[in-house]
Amino acid sequence: MAETILQARGIRKEFGGIVALNNVDFEVRRGSITAIIGPNGAGKSTLINVMTGVTTPTAGSISLSGTTISGLQSHEIAHLGIARTFQTAQIFGNMTVLENVMLGRHTKTGCGMLASALLLGRMRREEKAIRETSLLYLDMVGLSDMAQQSAASIPIGRQRLLEIGRAIAAEPTVLLLDEPAAGLNTQETRALGELIRKIRDTGITVIIVEHDMELVMDIADEILVLNFGLRLAWGTPEEIQANPEVIEVYLGKED
Amino acid sequence: MVKRYLPIVAFGCAAALLPLVCKDPYYLGILVFIGIYSIATMGLNLLMGYAGQISLGHAAFYALGAYTTGLLTAKYRVPFLPALVAAVIITAAIAYLIGMACLRLRGHYLAVATLAVGEIIFICLNAAVGFTGGPSGLAGIPSIEVGGFSFDSDFKMYYLVWSLFILLFLMTGNIINSRSGRALRSLHSSQTAAAAMGVNVISLKVQVFVLSAVYAALAGVLYGHSVTFISPQVSDLMFSVRLLTMIVVGGMGHLWGGVIGAALLTLLPEALSAFQDYEMVIYGSILLAMVMFLPDGLMGAFENLYKKMVKVVRARGNG
Repeated sequence: MAETILQARGIRKEFGGIVALNNVDFEVRRGSITAIIGPNGAGKSTLINVMTGVTTPTAGSISLSGTTISGLQSHEIAHLGIARTFQTAQIFGNMTVLENVMLGRHTKTGCGMLASALLLGRMRREEKAIRETSLLYLDMVGLSDMAQQSAASIPIGRQRLLEIGRAIAAEPTVLLLDEPAAGLNTQETRALGELIRKIRDTGITVIIVEHDMELVMDIADEILVLNFGLRLAWGTPEEIQANPEVIEVYLGKED
Repeated sequence: MVKRYLPIVAFGCAAALLPLVCKDPYYLGILVFIGIYSIATMGLNLLMGYAGQISLGHAAFYALGAYTTGLLTAKYRVPFLPALVAAVIITAAIAYLIGMACLRLRGHYLAVATLAVGEIIFICLNAAVGFTGGPSGLAGIPSIEVGGFSFDSDFKMYYLVWSLFILLFLMTGNIINSRSGRALRSLHSSQTAAAAMGVNVISLKVQVFVLSAVYAALAGVLYGHSVTFISPQVSDLMFSVRLLTMIVVGGMGHLWGGVIGAALLTLLPEALSAFQDYEMVIYGSILLAMVMFLPDGLMGAFENLYKKMVKVVRARGNG
């Protein structure tokens, strides 16, 4: 059993009177692919938003390699090594495909406006390194041929890949994917599964929220099932598939 | 890399030669104004066109620049360079405080907050009669003097203004195509995604706000010393709107957009003055038509046209 990299304890999130997450516990092992599944409104995206500082939990704590991250702001969490994609792809449409991935290097680089304005040697070297590394990650997600196109002009399926490319360019310890297969066809989904495995093999721990059960069962090492903000089940794909409570939620109760 | 600098080098050569051909002091004066507005719009464009943050109070920073060096040199006999440093520091400090307070807001709220700040400075300049001269303005601002050399003619001011423009243009271009430039452009599309990639959104917004305020202040300084008289009118809301119109017409998010807009909005009223009473009607109609039919501004329209031409040429080449 590998060590725990991410740990959530008693996560609760309320929006007004609605409880989106209710006392959720889970752990993610280093180098694994963990899937979070559940019906619509189960709290999956809220959980991702809590983990990335988009919203702060009402109660509970999350730690990354022993460092508490709940309560920190998004950009601080990014610097600690969590990168993410969004349910509706949030690419930077006013930039090129390559520039989007180059922004992914933000946490790994440090030149400010003054160094850039004066084109200091330090800045030029850093810029060259950013470009070279970004091209590698662009190649990894298979978008090299689109590098100079406007990011807004490429098809939605490619935008999802671009978002993944941008996230892995940050070389995070944990990558969160929020429904990466939404809107993809069967073939594209299969390629996505391969890509996620490849990302895991580079040493990045992957957490994926996904509705496509075929993809989830294929790639996940462990699955967390949420229902109405509660943790319904947690286990390997085989255990989850055999869990009567999960079957009830997904297929309805047999009388 | 070299290709990126080609247009500005060509522009610089043309600008250097222009006064040798066009000697009329009236037109030279207009060219000085276009240069001053181009500097102010470049900063505003960085804030609005690239980072996507609205400011309706930029005239206030322009006025702060003009009044700081104006007062220091005219009233207190401070040499120009220290006065300039003071203007930059004062404007940057005020912009920083305003930015910290306002830039947590988004969209319309930010627009209203900056509008209010502009009004406050307008009122202060009017009310502090003993200090600023109040509504009757501040007269007798001396020419810019650096190391014994005095920029006492439109000819000299022309070279000063446009040299500074080219310098700032190069620096701004470098910023846009850098790590911090990409970060600030990312704010335009999605602040949530930018933060998720590690961009400190608030801090970056404050930085670009301060930088754009300093550009406006530099333009204001040049304005004050070139006309020698300033009144609180320079901090008027209408002037903020005018700067904004320049970048919208010229092209938001294009470095050249500000210059083109500044030139157009300065030259158009001159060209239309022959129509006398109908001047404003025609002027308004032209602006309206441009905003309706060229929503990306003149630079955006040029760019689209260029892309289409490249496509047609390529298609012919293949066929």
